[in-house]
Amino acid sequence: MNGNIEHRFSPYTDNGGTTLAIAGEDFCVVAGDTRQSEGYLINSRYSPKVYHLHNNTVLATGGMHADGVALVKRIGQNLDWYVHKHDKDMSAQALAQMLSTILYSKRFFPYYVWNTLGGLDENGKGCVFSYDPVGNFEKLHWSASGSAGHLLQPFLDNQIGHKHQSNVEHHLLPLDKVLKIVKDAFNGATERDIYTGDFVEIFIITKDGVKVEKHDLKKD
Amino acid sequence: MEYNGGAIIAMKGKGCVAIAADRRFGIQALTLGTDFQKVFSATDKIYFGLAGLATDVQTLLSNRIPSPTPPFEFTSSRPIQSFFLKTKADICSEKFRMKVDMYHLREEREISPKTFAHMVSSTLYEKRFGGYFVFPTVAGLDANNEPYICNMDGIGCITTPNDFVVSGTAENQLYGMCESLWEPNLEPEDLFETISQALLNGVDRDAISGWGGIVHVITPEGVITRTLKGRMD
Amino acid sequence: MGDRYSFSLTTFSPSGKLVQIEYALAAVNKGVTSVGLKGTNGIVIATERKSHSPLLEDNSIEKVSVICRNIGVVYSGMGPDARILLDKARKSAQEYKRIYLEEPSVMIMVKEIASIMQEFTQSGGVRPFGVSLLIAGFDDLGPSLYQVDPSGSYFAWKASAIGKNMINAKTFLEKRYSETMELEDAVHTAILTLKEGYEGTMAESGIEIGIAYLEHTTTKEGDKIQQGRFKKLSEPEIKDYLANL
Repeated sequence: MNGNIEHRFSPYTDNGGTTLAIAGEDFCVVAGDTRQSEGYLINSRYSPKVYHLHNNTVLATGGMHADGVALVKRIGQNLDWYVHKHDKDMSAQALAQMLSTILYSKRFFPYYVWNTLGGLDENGKGCVFSYDPVGNFEKLHWSASGSAGHLLQPFLDNQIGHKHQSNVEHHLLPLDKVLKIVKDAFNGATERDIYTGDFVEIFIITKDGVKVEKHDLKKD
Repeated sequence: MEYNGGAIIAMKGKGCVAIAADRRFGIQALTLGTDFQKVFSATDKIYFGLAGLATDVQTLLSNRIPSPTPPFEFTSSRPIQSFFLKTKADICSEKFRMKVDMYHLREEREISPKTFAHMVSSTLYEKRFGGYFVFPTVAGLDANNEPYICNMDGIGCITTPNDFVVSGTAENQLYGMCESLWEPNLEPEDLFETISQALLNGVDRDAISGWGGIVHVITPEGVITRTLKGRMD
Repeated sequence: MGDRYSFSLTTFSPSGKLVQIEYALAAVNKGVTSVGLKGTNGIVIATERKSHSPLLEDNSIEKVSVICRNIGVVYSGMGPDARILLDKARKSAQEYKRIYLEEPSVMIMVKEIASIMQEFTQSGGVRPFGVSLLIAGFDDLGPSLYQVDPSGSYFAWKASAIGKNMINAKTFLEKRYSETMELEDAVHTAILTLKEGYEGTMAESGIEIGIAYLEHTTTKEGDKIQQGRFKKLSEPEIKDYLANL
């Protein structure tokens, strides 16, 4: 045997998982399942990928778990520096822009993360920002991403956005209804997507702070 | 499947079944037609949808007929035009029409949905290597008016769940919709609403499905066919 | 195949008869008697199993055979010819099942076999089959009994007999048959009919019986289902019937 063996470094992996965020009139809900997997292997049943940041915003990270952790760490530092510099918490809108800048700064070696940021805007209204890995972002009322994002997005369009429901009043839903829809969405996603399951963590952002709920999902 | 795009759903209800499809015909991102037929009737009580390569759906497997009704504005609360399909020969895919007719002549009885599905399956498997790029969905009522639905892959592997089946490029979206909207024992009108909502919302998140839809609800009394107007973009 | 006759040996006589078919029927009429009866809930077919010699292994002879799960057949006439037909019938049943994933109906099976038999009255280089068949089966339409002759013609019967003692057996059946009899009674009547022309005492090893009936089963999912079935009666089962005559 005299052949040359090629070794190639592959820095990315997809750890699966699904996240979503929904903005309400005076609240915002961000949720994600807690399964962390690689191919057909479940690495962890409880490895949260939704992070409560210092300035009362919540960041959901899907994709590669390690990159998500690194990114959240970096955002945390930036938030701290911002407080030291300006003696106030960064606004959700400012964080949204900063996150895009951070992601784009690594345009040619990106964080392999699909982010969804939820918080309250300067008027206390719920806001959601959805990102691709290189910082392209959009302000939305609702968004789903990750491994079952394709399954959940049309469901949210229908239930939150009342799409194709011409005889109903269009308004932002109250928190209890939103929470019901989030749970339904994750139960549905868990049923069909092998990368979604175990638990769902739901972060509820109001002017009084952030509350977390944890619910069971199917573990198969 | 990504060459032409498309979306098909079938659902079980209480003593009824529904089958729905989008109406787009396109080549990759280019939309060329908005009245393309993907669902056909095999008998008065069996309908089947073919998702996949349009040339196989149309040229090899079907003869096309004009759309049954002009599209109308769809609202959820307003029951609009419905009509009963009179003959089976006028809207049936060609190859399967021949096989079904031969079955009826030979056996002197109506084919059951399950038997029809297996016939479709073995027709596909006959061309196991280099076959048709179609992904059939079958929905029907058997002799006792028991609901039957199934779908299969391009070489005829059948799945027969108790709730719903989806196929086409919008498969993921439709799974998400159906998984959360569907519930057991829906009456025909509720089943129509459920399948319509699942289809319309599902295809809106797929770039190469949509441009309106068609729904058939098969009940023991007859078939309710309605066309849906969706986003045209 | 160059060494084969390319024309049919079965040709019309000037009077319009196909004598080859009549010869084939003569072969059938030399064969051992078989009977078939329809009961309200099933079909029975039966035949004698004659040992020509006490040295012969009785159970090596099979004249009542299963075609598929719901259909069986018995023949009178030439055993080897019947075996060819049985092979073809079984193969055709499996081909049907491959396409539709269900058992063929009795009528479909009968038409299939009859068309094979007809083909052998018209093809080159072959002769007609020297057998008549009684085909018993249970399908969606209930129990049915058919007779197929060497010409390829077929008939549905309430009760019939073929073979050597056919005339007497049919006369007997006409007297004894009733449309309201159940399968159990039909089996008895079939045995009695055979007994009419039977030489010597009848033992369980001396006859073969097959029945088509409706089987009630529960699936793994707990659903109660009923399916048409055909089975041969075992020697102990036949012995019980003989004891109760």
